[in-house]
Amino acid sequence: MYGWIWRHLPGNAWVKALISLVLVLAVVFVLFQYVFPWAEPLLPFNDVTVDEGMAAAR
Amino acid sequence: MTATGHDEDTDRSTPSPKPRRVRRTVASVVSVIGELLITAGLVLGLFVVYSLWWTNVLADREAHQQGDKVRKDWASPGPTGPGALDTKDGIGFLHVPAMSNGEVLVRKGTEAEILNEGVAGYYTKPAKSELPKDKKGNFTLAAHRDGHGARFHNIDKIKDGDPIVFETKDTWYVYKVFSILAETSKYNVDVLDDVPKESGKRKAGRFITLTTCTPVYTSNYRYVVWGELERTEKVDAERTPPKELR
Repeated sequence: MYGWIWRHLPGNAWVKALISLVLVLAVVFVLFQYVFPWAEPLLPFNDVTVDEGMAAAR
Repeated sequence: MTATGHDEDTDRSTPSPKPRRVRRTVASVVSVIGELLITAGLVLGLFVVYSLWWTNVLADREAHQQGDKVRKDWASPGPTGPGALDTKDGIGFLHVPAMSNGEVLVRKGTEAEILNEGVAGYYTKPAKSELPKDKKGNFTLAAHRDGHGARFHNIDKIKDGDPIVFETKDTWYVYKVFSILAETSKYNVDVLDDVPKESGKRKAGRFITLTTCTPVYTSNYRYVVWGELERTEKVDAERTPPKELR
């Protein structure tokens, strides 16, 4: 997969490395800016309040 | 096992183009799966970096801006009368020397959007929090244990008898911790009662309740700290903090 991307990038090895770096940074940016903020509330790591979610079942 | 070994033997002795192509396809599928797994590992690692570091960076920035704004509002004699409460930007600052994290801005509400900005929020639901200025009741707060400013990260450092000071525009409210619940169900809303029975209190008073998640890095349970108002002090011109904070 990564080999395929590498082969399809234009230019010599230095240009390829530079483009790869830009691609990696773009992916990290998208993750931090959009994906993680979306995923975080769906994961049970950061609920700090008490609530009545299952008060009836208590 | 023997059958496979036999196949490999024949492959090696008579290398025909067809099985080699099959083998190459299998190899490339395996390598793509491997790369995807490595990628998934890296993404999960990045998520940890995001949760424990980046959200703190964002929350600290946001909380400082909001805190500065509240301080500026307090300093400028606006159209609001003395003691007027501006609940939109925040109602005051929480100082807990035992948590050694400076001041924490307190705002209305405990929704994620509010707490994620690096502040502590007072409950509006399931039970509405009383405010410190109210004659009786429970001032109930929540904040993050990790990430998003992690304002209550060191809640486990608070001990019985430690001071909790809440600063408003014109008054210092000095509370003293009298009870700690190190682990309780996240559905235990009784801890927010005006007279929280689990704290050992039976009569109405002016209480403060801090809640956050526990153990650290998870939110299976809730950690609760209760304090009772000891005294109030008028804020003077220099905003001299009460002796608990000096």
